Amino acid sequence: MVLRVAAPLAGTVVPLYTVPDRVFADAIVGPGVAIEPARGSRAVTAPIAGILVKVKPHAFVVVAPDGQAVLVHLGIDTVSLAGEGFTVLAAEGSPVAIGDPVVDWDPAAVRDRGLSPICPVVALEATAVFDAATGPIQPGQALFSVAGPGTGAPLS
Amino acid sequence: MAERVVAVAGADGLHARPAALFVRAAAESGLAVRIGRADGESDVDARSILAVLALDVRRGDEVRLCADGEGAERVLDRLVAVLAGEDADAGH
Repeated sequence: MVLRVAAPLAGTVVPLYTVPDRVFADAIVGPGVAIEPARGSRAVTAPIAGILVKVKPHAFVVVAPDGQAVLVHLGIDTVSLAGEGFTVLAAEGSPVAIGDPVVDWDPAAVRDRGLSPICPVVALEATAVFDAATGPIQPGQALFSVAGPGTGAPLS
Repeated sequence: MAERVVAVAGADGLHARPAALFVRAAAESGLAVRIGRADGESDVDARSILAVLALDVRRGDEVRLCADGEGAERVLDRLVAVLAGEDADAGH
């Protein structure tokens, strides 16, 4: 089964390896892409339909019915902001559809704090993604596709 | 069955970066390592980043690691070192 992952925010799609954090850049968290937020981008929305199993101000995880999971991380080292400038809009454990708002934030404010607002969007239970978009993207547009869990090689 | 209890030292607990490094170290061990909260009954596959993130481990929380098989003691010593912060933030 192939899961189509939608862009959770407006911006420009860039390769994961450009993220200024080796653990994301080397796809240690998982394979995917990153989005450089567009100016004025505010709402970050669910990239897949499923259950919002974890939501923090700076990151959230949605798990699809087949067990595949997508992490959206809002900026790098933004856990250090302790939620300041972020508003969580959806309850942990609730079902979400593609496009449902999950977090409101201001990427420009993150940049003003000297942090990168780039957003890695990664599949947590996959070894690769395919059909990845490039360049400008709007929320809800196709970002990448990923096979269901357990269909790739085990992590090693 | 080898077992360890360790307090997680990373400034942000087991969030995405340290969780990913821990999960990779667990996967590289070749053993079916499990992790759970030290005060809880259940544990999860330490090789699944989704499962580890869902544990929502914060700084100072104690977790229990278990593994069976050849080299299990050595593997758990290595994973304890990761969680205790000796290279939990190796991404920097």
